[in-house]
Amino acid sequence: MSLVLVSCALFGLGLYGTLVRRDIIGILASIEVMLGGPQLLLVGLGASIDHGAGSALNAQGIALVIIVVAAAEAAVGLALVVAVARRTRSTRLDDLTEVKG
Amino acid sequence: MSAVVTNGLFWLLALGALVGAGTVALTRDVMRMALGLGVMLLSLAGFFAYYGFGFLALAEVFVYVGGVLILFLFAIMLVHRTTAGRPELESRNRVASIAAAAGLSALLAFMLQPAGSLLGGAGSAGGPAALSRLLLGPMLIVFEAAGALLLIALVAVVVVGGGERE
Repeated sequence: MSLVLVSCALFGLGLYGTLVRRDIIGILASIEVMLGGPQLLLVGLGASIDHGAGSALNAQGIALVIIVVAAAEAAVGLALVVAVARRTRSTRLDDLTEVKG
Repeated sequence: MSAVVTNGLFWLLALGALVGAGTVALTRDVMRMALGLGVMLLSLAGFFAYYGFGFLALAEVFVYVGGVLILFLFAIMLVHRTTAGRPELESRNRVASIAAAAGLSALLAFMLQPAGSLLGGAGSAGGPAALSRLLLGPMLIVFEAAGALLLIALVAVVVVGGGERE
């Protein structure tokens, strides 16, 4: 049960950071924290309920795919941040109102 | 390992992960935020090793701490080089955000209660050899799709971030 609480707390802290930040880099870092919680729970559950069915191995494979996807997301997100900052000289969400309807 | 050592290790890793995540969410200094992210990612890698996934822990350290965190630091340095000193992070809608985050994570914890009773100690994970048989066998399509995704992301990063020669 403690692992469930830890991973839910990680998710909650990441969600709080995502909602409360005004800096795009801060939001991206908070999203990484949010991804970490479920990944931790997946790995812990996979390791715990392995009864010869290979769930530990499957959890390992899925967690590896999560790592790859998160790395791609962070790379594209940070490249966008750098491109936007080059254009507007700012990474604050309040300043990025160019495409507002 | 005795139960005391195992429990102590678990809570030490949990403390590291939560302190790192709290730093990311709460600090007003962008460099401290990157350091907190590093602490949290290292704690996650420690958790993976704790559950017997050595290869996964190594991959986490290589990809996240060695790759993503350095990317974050480079982005911070590239973006904030014009402003003097360390940039400040501001926050907004504090009360509503606390309510939403606390409520949603409490709801998740409540829903995941049945899963909590399944959790036990570390099982037999199977080494890198078993993992490679899994990745190049039943999970081959997912593995190749992840590789293609990384390639597309690489091209996208070069296109988005590298253009505009003056």
